Amino acid sequence: MGYPIIALLAALALGASVPAVSQVPSEAPKPVKLNTTADHTKFKELQRVFASGPEVTKVCLTCHTEAAGQIHRTKHWKWEFLNPGSNQKLGKKNVLNNFCISIPSNYPFCTSCHVGYGWKDANFDFSSEESVDCLVCHDTTGNYKKPPGLAGNPPVKDMELPPGSGKIVKGIDLSRIAQKVGKTSRDTCGACHFFGGGGDGVKHGDMDSSLAAPTKELDVHMDAEGLDFTCGTCHKASSHDVAGSRYTPTAKDTKGAHLRGSTENRNPATCVNCHGKAPHEKAKQSERLNLHANKVACQTCHIPEIARGGVATKTSWDWSTAGKKGPDGKPMLVKDAKGRVIYDSKKGDFTLGENVKPEYAWFNGEVTYTLLGDKVDKSEGVTRINKLGGSAEDGKSMIWPLKVFRGSQPYDPDNKTLVTPHTAGNDDTAYWKNFGWEKAIESGMKVSGAPFSGKVDFIKTEMSWPITHMVAPKEKALGCTECHSKDGRLAGISGVYLPGRDGIPLMDTLGWSAALLTLLGVFGHGALRIFVARRK
Amino acid sequence: MKSARILLAAAIAATSLSALAYDADWKRGRVYYRSVCTSCHVANPVGSINPSAKTMGDWATYMKADKHAKGKEKVSQYISKTYRDKIKSANKAAEKFADVPDQELSDDIAAFLKKGAKDGDSPASCS
Amino acid sequence: MAERIYIFKRFERFWHWSQAALIIFLMLTGFEIHGSYSNFGFEKAVDFHTIAAWSLVTLWVFAIFWHLTTGEWKQYIPTTEKVVAMTRYYLSGIFENAPHPFRQTQLRKHNPLQRLAYLGVLLFISPLLWVTGWLYLFYGSWPVWGLDGLSLQWVATGHALGAYLMLLFLIAHLYLTTAGHTPTSHIRAMLTGWEEVD
Repeated sequence: MGYPIIALLAALALGASVPAVSQVPSEAPKPVKLNTTADHTKFKELQRVFASGPEVTKVCLTCHTEAAGQIHRTKHWKWEFLNPGSNQKLGKKNVLNNFCISIPSNYPFCTSCHVGYGWKDANFDFSSEESVDCLVCHDTTGNYKKPPGLAGNPPVKDMELPPGSGKIVKGIDLSRIAQKVGKTSRDTCGACHFFGGGGDGVKHGDMDSSLAAPTKELDVHMDAEGLDFTCGTCHKASSHDVAGSRYTPTAKDTKGAHLRGSTENRNPATCVNCHGKAPHEKAKQSERLNLHANKVACQTCHIPEIARGGVATKTSWDWSTAGKKGPDGKPMLVKDAKGRVIYDSKKGDFTLGENVKPEYAWFNGEVTYTLLGDKVDKSEGVTRINKLGGSAEDGKSMIWPLKVFRGSQPYDPDNKTLVTPHTAGNDDTAYWKNFGWEKAIESGMKVSGAPFSGKVDFIKTEMSWPITHMVAPKEKALGCTECHSKDGRLAGISGVYLPGRDGIPLMDTLGWSAALLTLLGVFGHGALRIFVARRK
Repeated sequence: MKSARILLAAAIAATSLSALAYDADWKRGRVYYRSVCTSCHVANPVGSINPSAKTMGDWATYMKADKHAKGKEKVSQYISKTYRDKIKSANKAAEKFADVPDQELSDDIAAFLKKGAKDGDSPASCS
Repeated sequence: MAERIYIFKRFERFWHWSQAALIIFLMLTGFEIHGSYSNFGFEKAVDFHTIAAWSLVTLWVFAIFWHLTTGEWKQYIPTTEKVVAMTRYYLSGIFENAPHPFRQTQLRKHNPLQRLAYLGVLLFISPLLWVTGWLYLFYGSWPVWGLDGLSLQWVATGHALGAYLMLLFLIAHLYLTTAGHTPTSHIRAMLTGWEEVD
């Protein structure tokens, strides 16, 4: 035992800064994982081959007995939501949009983003516990996948998908993934939410795969080299129910910062929840900026542009031009100079954009949908699939940034309703297979249980997506003149006097005219004086 | 005296820990690869290299051979604590992972490359 | 040979010129905030406008004190005497080299039209600008002050109206500086304090 000498020297070298401990541990603390209390690789139950997702879930549930039941109560599972304000029955299952339009009749494709296994038609058993997909949210390997067409099931062995396409999807090792489960991450949430609308960045504009490991410039909170927030940092889940809602968003958080211990039942995913109601503490003009925060949502100034991470977002979608074939008589794709698809025979024409400036509107958190049975009128010009409530006067609204997505989509001109076409599928009626709208809509409407006259026309539609992600560093927040100028970003916002933008044109005309006349008057007077003086 | 023993015990524990099989963190590897490797490659004439540009086997060979700039330098040099220390004032990833042991970080990067390789589980680009 | 009298004391001259500079600067920044043109950029214009406004407030505190303690405030008491004569002079006499109908003294340094004009600035344009300016500046405190019903549009409009009137005054005032004993005598007086009189 020669080491006490060395230890003594070390202790001397370190001086008195080392705190004294009364008990000498007999051995060093054993190395442990610090990010979890359960190393799932050590569980015998998981050290086996799994032939399907539900087999894994059954094992999960032997310990996590309440987990599936908790999931069953959530929107992630039900895809259904009753808006308590409007009484509208919403949720992905019920609403339409102007992207891929609707889910019924396309279940096996759309439900690849369902937090469950096997939702292939309307008969899915929502009470089944083993159908809950634990892995899609708790995978840490990044290798879990649920390709479209499998009704939310993962491929356990290599398979051709879609059948007959010649494309092979590699099977995944469920055992390894199950042993590596952990907390949710930007990667797991992003596996679905980055790809909304059928592809990377398509739908939201403020969410795409660039947020998996973003820079500070792209998102000051999720900055992978800095704060490294996960989605769950803000969207704090409780009993597997993830906070935040597109159907009943919090447009104006009047309650200030949320302190620990507070028992208020409120949305934790707002800016105010952490930053409070007067967030500009150290900034120049902080008082004036805090005043802005009474009427202007934080996102308006702090998200100058969306789709900033190099992934383009779709800005419009015209279904009416779908169905054109290439010179070879086959469906075709047309790409722009950057290689992005701008025409697809299956889907029609698109426009895309990166670094897109949002549009702005007063928003009070009330969202009303145009649902399947609702009458639509082509003569109105544009049908708004989701209408955002709000005005300068209602006291509940803030000015919000929106991605407004414009499109043209099929509707029934006789019944005057939107329609739910059967698009995806390997059968005779699927539009993407046979390119016949009538057949596709008829079979889709049958699944939706809605009447269809047999006539098809196209109607212009619009959806608004409030923007809240991709918060830029404060140096990149909007400058004053972005809004305080004629034709600035808020040119279309009414009900508020914006210095630099507004005024009474008549007064300005009169004011400047009077000044000009006075000027002419004094010049005339002066000229006359000089003239008279010279003559004398 | 007693406290010195703790220090010593901790040192022994640390060495024994690194002797255990390290569970590589591909996400940390992803951040380091993008923020250190790619950001420098983009600035230098070489250009960026997508993980998906090579196969898993290629990457394993590359990491093992430990050759950078056609053998004039070592890859491990660019992963080392010394290098991270040098660039950390200008590179946030290097700063964030300043104290990660060299071998762990190297394993993390290898895990990311394996996963993102052409024939890997999810082929990845560098941005 | 014209006689010279000491009309404007040192503080008065300092007050006049700094006030002139501030008002011109306030107009430049103010009309930019109003959206009439751009120069400094909105943010800086707001900053500068606010600083200049507070500077002018400070200057006025001193000026008011000075006027009260020296009794100089009496210079602004309006009079109808010679108003007609002055008007006639500006409209015709000035062209015919007629004698100036008003003779300045230290006790009456402003002619009757000046008195009226300055009083107008003092009693109408300035209060309009000050009241609307303060309300504008303290927009955030309206609820606390019980002024919820006020409309920013009308406050801003009133403020702009004041600015236009001030601009008209400024143009006329600048021109009339040349209407003294000689074209430069008024200006020289404001610089040196000494005015030439007949």
